Order: sequence, then C-alpha cells, then structure tokens
Amino acid sequence: MSEPQILKLMSNDNVEIPVDKDVACRSILIKNMMDDIGEQALTEAIPIPNVNEAVLNKVIEWCVHHKNDPTQTNDDDADSRKKTTDIDEWDQKFMQVDQEMLFEIILAANYLDIKALLDVGCKTVANMIKGKSPEEIRKTFNIQNDFTPEEEDQIRRENEWAEDR
Amino acid sequence: MIKRPREDDLDVSHSAKRLRTSKYLDRLSVLSDELLLRTLSFLSVSELITCQRLSRRLKALAGDPQLWKALFYDRFVRPRASRIPGVRDLETSAQSLYYSSRISKWLDDDHLVKRGKATNWKRQYKLRHNWSRGSANVSETQVAEQPSIPPLLVRLHEDTVVTVDGATGIRAWSLKGDDRLIASAPLCHTGPTSLATNDTESSEHRVGISIGFEDGRFAIYTLLRQKRAFVQQYTHAASTNGAIHAIAYTSPYLLTMTGAPLLSLYRFRHDLDAADDTILAPTLISSLRSHTAYPPATLAIRASSTSVVASIAYAMPSWTVGWSVGLQELRLTGDGMIMDSRMASALNTISRMPRLSAHSPHNVGGIPLIKKPTSLSYNHPYLLSAHSDNTLTLYMVTSNAEQLSISAGNRLWGHTSSVSGAYVGERGKAVSASTLGNELRVWELEGGIPSSASRRRAAAGEASVQVHPGRRRSFIEEARLDRELEESNVTKGWIAFDEEKVVLLREKMQGTQALVVYDFS
Repeated sequence: MSEPQILKLMSNDNVEIPVDKDVACRSILIKNMMDDIGEQALTEAIPIPNVNEAVLNKVIEWCVHHKNDPTQTNDDDADSRKKTTDIDEWDQKFMQVDQEMLFEIILAANYLDIKALLDVGCKTVANMIKGKSPEEIRKTFNIQNDFTPEEEDQIRRENEWAEDR
Repeated sequence: MIKRPREDDLDVSHSAKRLRTSKYLDRLSVLSDELLLRTLSFLSVSELITCQRLSRRLKALAGDPQLWKALFYDRFVRPRASRIPGVRDLETSAQSLYYSSRISKWLDDDHLVKRGKATNWKRQYKLRHNWSRGSANVSETQVAEQPSIPPLLVRLHEDTVVTVDGATGIRAWSLKGDDRLIASAPLCHTGPTSLATNDTESSEHRVGISIGFEDGRFAIYTLLRQKRAFVQQYTHAASTNGAIHAIAYTSPYLLTMTGAPLLSLYRFRHDLDAADDTILAPTLISSLRSHTAYPPATLAIRASSTSVVASIAYAMPSWTVGWSVGLQELRLTGDGMIMDSRMASALNTISRMPRLSAHSPHNVGGIPLIKKPTSLSYNHPYLLSAHSDNTLTLYMVTSNAEQLSISAGNRLWGHTSSVSGAYVGERGKAVSASTLGNELRVWELEGGIPSSASRRRAAAGEASVQVHPGRRRSFIEEARLDRELEESNVTKGWIAFDEEKVVLLREKMQGTQALVVYDFS
C-alpha cells in the first residue's frame, strides 16, 4: 500500500485544510476535478469558494466517517432513494447543530455533490417539519406567512380530504 | 400588499419581539427549488398538505406533480403490482417497482401517464384516495315525473348520461357543471326497450347511440354535444322476432338480442361520418339462437384490428348450485368473416369441484344455493352478477384462440341488503348498489380472487368500501340528504361509473326517477 495521498482544500475564508484524497473524493465535484487535472491537484490547494472553514471541517468530518461506504452511482436516481426519514445514529448526532450550520451543510453538500450527505441534511429538515402545525413550522424556520386569511382558509378547505385519516 | 389584520392588533411588546426575531433569516425559504423539493420528497401526504399552508412559494413547491406522482405510485400502483401474478416476479430484481412507463403500461395506467407533464398528480391522488375511502359528494337530477312503461333506460358515456323513455324521448345529461340537460328529442317510434352507446367513439363532441324497440326495430342516433342536438341517422325495420331486450354497439358492429333468445350481429358499411345525416342499412353477419340463456343478459362487442368478438353473458339455472352464468361468443376476423361460435358456463367449473359442502372453498359461509342474479355485468375478463341475497358473484373469463372458459364463482360479501345492480369497469373496479338505494359499495377486483387470502377477504366483506355520501357537509344538508335517501326506495339496477363519478338511477316512492351522481373528485 502506498502512502495515502493528501490534498489541500482552501475554504472561502482562505484556510487550507489537508484531506486524505479518498476522503475528499466522496465529493463528486472534487473527484471529477481530480480526474480532469490529475496530479497537479496534489501540489496546489483546491479553492472551495462557497464554503467557509467551519462548514468545510464539518463536511470533511462526515466524509471521514463515511469514507468506506459504498460509493453512490452517479446517476441521480431519485426514485430508488429510500423514502424513509430514518437517519443512522452517528449522522443524527452529527446533525445536532444550529440551523445556520445545518443549512450551510446542505448547501455545501449540494455544491460539492455529496448525495448521501445532502440526503441526511434534507431528511433532518424534513424531520423538523414532521408532526408540526403550520404555525409551529413557520416559527421553527421563520417563514413569512404571505397569504391573506381568506386564502389560508381556502387552502385549508381544499385539502380537507387528506386530513381525516 | 394586503396587510394582515392579525398584525394590527399586536401590542408593542409583541412588535418589538417580532422585530428581533425577524432579524433571523428564513433559511428554509432561501434554498433553491431543487433543494426544497428534495427535502419535501421525504414527507408524507399530510405533511405536504401542511407545507402548502406555509407560504405561496411552498404551496407551489409542495404541490409539485412529481412529488405527488411518487406518492401516487407508492400508495396505489406498487401495492397493486405485487398483487398481480407475474408482475412481482418480473420486477423484484431491479429497483423494485417504481414508476417507469413500462410498469404503467403493465398496470393499464398509461391513460394517466399519457398526459405527461399536464397530469395533475395531486388531483389524481385525491381522486384515488376518495375512491379508496368511499368519500363522495352526492347530487341528484330528476329525469322523470313518473315511472314509464317500458322502464326508463340509461347509459353513461364519458361525461354524458343518455336516457330514453317512451314519454319524453331521448335526452342527454351532462355530469359536468350545473347545466345538466344538454339535448332532448322525441323518438321515432314508441316503446324503447334497450339502449347502448358506441364504445369506439373517440370524439368527445359526438356520442353514437343505438336504441332497440318493442316491435324489433332499432335506430341509430348521434348526439352532437356542441350543437346540443340529436341526429337520427338510421332506422331498421320492425321484425317478427319481437322486442329487442338488449343491444350493444361498437361501431361499425351492432349486436341485438330479441326474445327466444336470438342474437343478431350487424355490420354497418362504414364508420359514421360527421357530414352524414343518414347511413346505409347494415348487413346481417350472423344470427344465432341460444336455448339456455335466461335474463338478465348482457351483450358486449370486443373489437381489435385482427378480430371481433361478440358475446352474450346470461344467467343459467342449474339443479346443483342454484343459478350460474353462461357465456356465448361469436368470433369474427377483422374484416367480418365468421370464425366460430362457442359457449362456456361456470357450471362445468363448479361440477368438477367436490360436492358442495361446508368445506368447499367456493361455498364460504355455507350458503347452499346461488340466487338468480338481479343484474349481470361483463367487462372482459370480469363477469359480475348481483343477487338478492346481499351478495355478488365474480367470475373470471378466459377467452383466447384455444378456449373459452369461466372460472368458478367467488362470492363477495359486504352488502347488508339485497343488491339490485352491479357494474364492473376497467381494471376490475366495480360498483354495486342495494335495492333500497341506501348502500353503495366500491370493489377492487383486479386480478380476480386468486388466493385463499383474498377469498377470505371477500368472505369477510373486506373487498369493498361503502360510499359515504356528503363528505364534509353541513348538518342541515346531511339531514336533508338522509330524508331523501329514506324517501327513495328503489334503485332500478342501472349503475355505472367513470374515473371520477358513480351514477345510478333511483326511483322514489311517488314514482319520480332521478339520476344520482356520486362525485369522488
């Protein structure tokens, strides 16, 4: 076995973070970049312009833990994704962060193209919606209610069929 | 922007708090549509509905057709697929049964997929949801002041109901909107005894109609929906064979049944053209006499490019099981040459079973004899009969190049009073109504009743749901409806449905007759 190759990622606040190549390649974006430019990527730090140091560290932490997971196929097969919101225990703990960080992780996972992490993030948000009333959800996320009371009432009536279960 | 009244009566301290909290960003709503949809894809129906109430943007996103399509397939298509023999084995290997167009074809759902992007999947979901729960809105249209002799005839063709009676002639009613009566015309003769609409008519503006009379005549009419008029296109001479009791019409073929019973299959020279007001007389291709057929009987024509099958399904008495059903088929090539005629009955299948005993799987509950059917409905391969002993019997028909056969009947329990009418449609969906008109049930009979588990389900009365009229009505309306239901005492046995509605004919104590529409949309 050869030495693990190390690459450097540069966060948008100009912090260089060294990462194991295999770990970094959980990101399809970085993997494709490596395929394109090859060894050169090992000499210079790769700029990740949309992600700051704290978030990038968090994302790398996730990639390290999951580096031995089977890699997902590249095709965006939304259909065969598991539709449950079950999240494994480690990921649940990992996602116990404030909302700002949670949404930053989702954006970073989306930008870096890490499907599994993106799903964990989206599931976490979905779980914050589950079981709440509209007013509770608005409070949770600070969503501005832009309906008139009449509109709100109408939507509620239109959807009554789904409520009585 | 309209100011919300709620904000006006906030006191100062609340406003201050509000200001503070509004400093926090709404991080959910700044996500792209794509990411929000991904998040919403993990939610259930009720949670999506809740999200639609949050804001305008979320209302649009949580109503996204692709989200609802996935939910639709999860709930209505995949469970069904695994019930149908063959599909399960075919598809378990791959990503199991998700929505591919191939599966849709398999499950006959391509009528939904065909509309592609325009399909409102949330609406489709709601429709199926309401069907599965039996929730429908009920409305009524009176069609006759008093009972007519011979009785009023009714047929449903897409969104149009056609009625024919001696007193008022032929009329067409719309099931859409409030404007119910589309067109009305007097009949060319007296005593209409049978009615059918053209199954092949593809245009929504034209409905082909055939009417049989008591003197053996038959006539062809076309309803022009936009002109709100009927055109009489053809009248066939009276016949010595007597009244036409049943008629089926699949242009260019017409099948009649007169007393005796005698079946006659006609072929018109060409399809009816919009420009033609009259059409040429048809040729009689074949007629055949049946000695075993008893009413009720139902006629059907199945036409494909290579063959035409004209069939009659009828009730049959027997001394061992009570009443059974029989089927006679006349097969023609695509260009109208007769291939053969053959018969089958469910009796043969039953007689092979051990003598009826409490242990016989076809005799669940130990009810000894099957009563004479009150109505019979045949939509290949489903043959469904209704009985006065509160049950229905489902037979599965096999009809291919080699053989014609009917499976042993499976009794369906669920009604708590005499059943006067049953109708089976595409994919084995069926509806049935009680004689008193107070109980309407919806059945999912797709694939028949192949397993002992489904037989148990049928015997326990779990194969159907009862339709609850008037979901979410006010109490006043509810009470009015109850009273009306009590007043109305007889359903005439005629019942039909399409994707969104069930229509039945109900006769009230005073003799008035009404079309009752159960709307599931």
